Amino acid sequence: MDWKCAKCDIVLKLSKVQFTYLGNTFSHEVPVCPKCGEVFIPPELAEGRMAEVEEQLEDK
Amino acid sequence: MQQAEIIAYAERCFGGEPASCTYACPFRLDIRTFLERVSRGKWKQAYKTFRNATVFPGVAAALCSAPCRGRCQREALGDEPLNLSAIENAVIRFAPDKRGEQYVLPAKKGSVAVVGAGLAGLAVALGLAQKKYSVTVFEKENEWGGKLRANEKFSYFEEDINNQFAFDKPEFRFNTEIKSLENLEEFDAVFVASGKNGLDFGLSRTFDKKLRNSENPRIFFGGGIVGEDAIHSLASAPDSARMLEVFLQTGKASATYGSYDKRDCGHYVEHFGVEKKPLVLPASGGEYSEAEAKAEAARCMQCDCRKCLANCEMLEKFKKLPKKIASEVYTDIGAAPPYSTHMITRETYSCLDCGYCGAVCPEGVNVGEILHLSRVQRAEDGVAPAALHDFWLREMTHAATDAGYVYAKNDKCEYLFFPGCQLGAMEPEHVIKSYEFLENNYNCGIFLGCCGAPAYWAGRMDLFGENISNIRDIWGKSGKPALVIACATCERMFKETLPEIQVISIYELMEKSKIQQLSIINYPLSIVFDPCSAREDSAMKTAVRSLAASSGIALEELENPGKCCGNGGHIRAANRKLFEEMSKNRAEESPLPYIVYCANCRDVFDERGKECLHILDILFGLKPGIAPLIGEKRRNRMEVKLKMQEKLEGFSKENPQNSIELVIEAVLAEEIDRKLIGEDEMREAIEKAEKSGVKFIDSENIIQCSLVKGSLTYWVRYKSLGNGKFEIKNAYYHRMRIAKED
Repeated sequence: MDWKCAKCDIVLKLSKVQFTYLGNTFSHEVPVCPKCGEVFIPPELAEGRMAEVEEQLEDK
Repeated sequence: MQQAEIIAYAERCFGGEPASCTYACPFRLDIRTFLERVSRGKWKQAYKTFRNATVFPGVAAALCSAPCRGRCQREALGDEPLNLSAIENAVIRFAPDKRGEQYVLPAKKGSVAVVGAGLAGLAVALGLAQKKYSVTVFEKENEWGGKLRANEKFSYFEEDINNQFAFDKPEFRFNTEIKSLENLEEFDAVFVASGKNGLDFGLSRTFDKKLRNSENPRIFFGGGIVGEDAIHSLASAPDSARMLEVFLQTGKASATYGSYDKRDCGHYVEHFGVEKKPLVLPASGGEYSEAEAKAEAARCMQCDCRKCLANCEMLEKFKKLPKKIASEVYTDIGAAPPYSTHMITRETYSCLDCGYCGAVCPEGVNVGEILHLSRVQRAEDGVAPAALHDFWLREMTHAATDAGYVYAKNDKCEYLFFPGCQLGAMEPEHVIKSYEFLENNYNCGIFLGCCGAPAYWAGRMDLFGENISNIRDIWGKSGKPALVIACATCERMFKETLPEIQVISIYELMEKSKIQQLSIINYPLSIVFDPCSAREDSAMKTAVRSLAASSGIALEELENPGKCCGNGGHIRAANRKLFEEMSKNRAEESPLPYIVYCANCRDVFDERGKECLHILDILFGLKPGIAPLIGEKRRNRMEVKLKMQEKLEGFSKENPQNSIELVIEAVLAEEIDRKLIGEDEMREAIEKAEKSGVKFIDSENIIQCSLVKGSLTYWVRYKSLGNGKFEIKNAYYHRMRIAKED
């Protein structure tokens, strides 16, 4: 993974991030800037696993 | 409709109810299931179905006069009714094991005396013995059978009776006549089945047909003593046994524990396209062979109403009849997370709300109304997944505010043109030229806005109400003119919520004033695809056909008109797959090109690559290209507003120029459009990232940034081309929030 945080000029690292949806909170490891904490969501994740979980929570 | 009304509303649906033949059957035999099993040669299962309903199957098959035949829907096709008696006989002959059911249950507390070992007494005694109650049968004769013994087939009947008592036999005390109930004090309950002229202990006149007992609640009755013939003695036995059991368990016979009311059923279903099939006659001249019984049973049409499921991809996908949906919506509305949860989100937000199910339903049950209530309640309770309608609510805001405009000359006009949010978005000339026609013929103003359908479909009745009252105000200030609509959905919304306003379609006005055709166009034989909202508006439908015909176009009709193109209910975010399936099916209803008069239909069919023209394209001689994408639609709306302003008031504000320019490859642009992401969102994200510097960059200088807007988080990948130009590489979103953003 060669994505960098443009502001901090640092390569992103996987880190646990909290997500919320429809009153549920959960965490997942995603690329994050180690310095400023800015979170990076790649398309495969947004349109893959995240979309699946969103749908499951909507149907719950 | 309110929560309290939906169950009663859906009760009108008779899908899943017993068929008309079962209503006629004294035993309430589930004839559909029985015949389906026979048709597959499942003799064991068919026998079980028949035996469970009739107690003594051999006796029932021989004595029943088959009133079901008078209610067989085969007759409606001109066929002979199913030969149930012959099929029942075949099932009894071919069943591998004719013995009664063997229940593995512990012995139960409670003792019952049965007075009389005729058909009624035996049937009730068997039912209770199988439940493991202590049963003693008293019979004054020295053998069982009562009046049945006089029947020439008694030896066959006795074999059947012995078979059913194979595993559970009560104690029989023959040659014992009960002359007084005092002799039966030791028993918890008594079932008196002493025959037509038997002793009734002075109680049968107080017989309660429903509870099966008398003024002495411990004493139950059945059979000839209460006027039942052999078949009805048998048919009522399971009810009597159930009531006795309830009495033994609770000390009281309860009406709530009965079988359903036997009412006359007038529900015949349509059998469109079902072939006639003649009665199967036994080759031997006597009884059916296995193959003959199967063939005769296969003539059963399995009568059950499934019209709504057969006519709606959504209902078919979820396989739920209206009653089930109503009951789930009812429960869902009362759900209180986290203790109970919402179960039918997908169904609720997958409904096109097009009313087609109600239009085909013999009882007019419209599932859309039930599911709309669910959307409204969820929005009110704050448990609606907002992301599912976020995009359309934003479009509505754009159409009603940014691109909204009203002009009514001297605040008084005869007509006020309300083209709706999509007409100008799809093609500005549709609005501009339509208005030219109207102002040339009438004292007509213009009102650019949105009818509020996006809020209605989101269940956001607060926003819908605000929008409607704004429309009412503007209408009032414009001299209460008739609203001229170009979109049938606008008409539907106004008719439902603004009954005081007269609404007419522009197509009717055009037809009435014989609009001068710009040209007779060379267009092939076509189909007018009616929007779902125009289903009941024959004036609008006729006007469009007349306009197309006078442009020289030959027309054909769809076999099943009035289905929604897929845009109704705004289901795309909730169920993209279903939307694709529905829009594909609608596009394939006919290979001929479509003429539409709803901008949304045009948009949907264009996306599917279906050849399609809007009636206004024909009338104004326009040659439209492919349907515009989201960004262009918004620009088109603004263009209409500015052009109208300039034309009517002689000035216009300049269309605000975008500070940055986006470059998107065509295929990618369409792909992003299908995700319901507009240029505005991408531009806003890039502007924010470029200004704040909060963005990500890779080794090839591809940049990625995000934007939280409404309930969605958008991500855009792009490359800077310099001079405020940016090339879009990808755009996507997610609905969940990154916690730190809050």
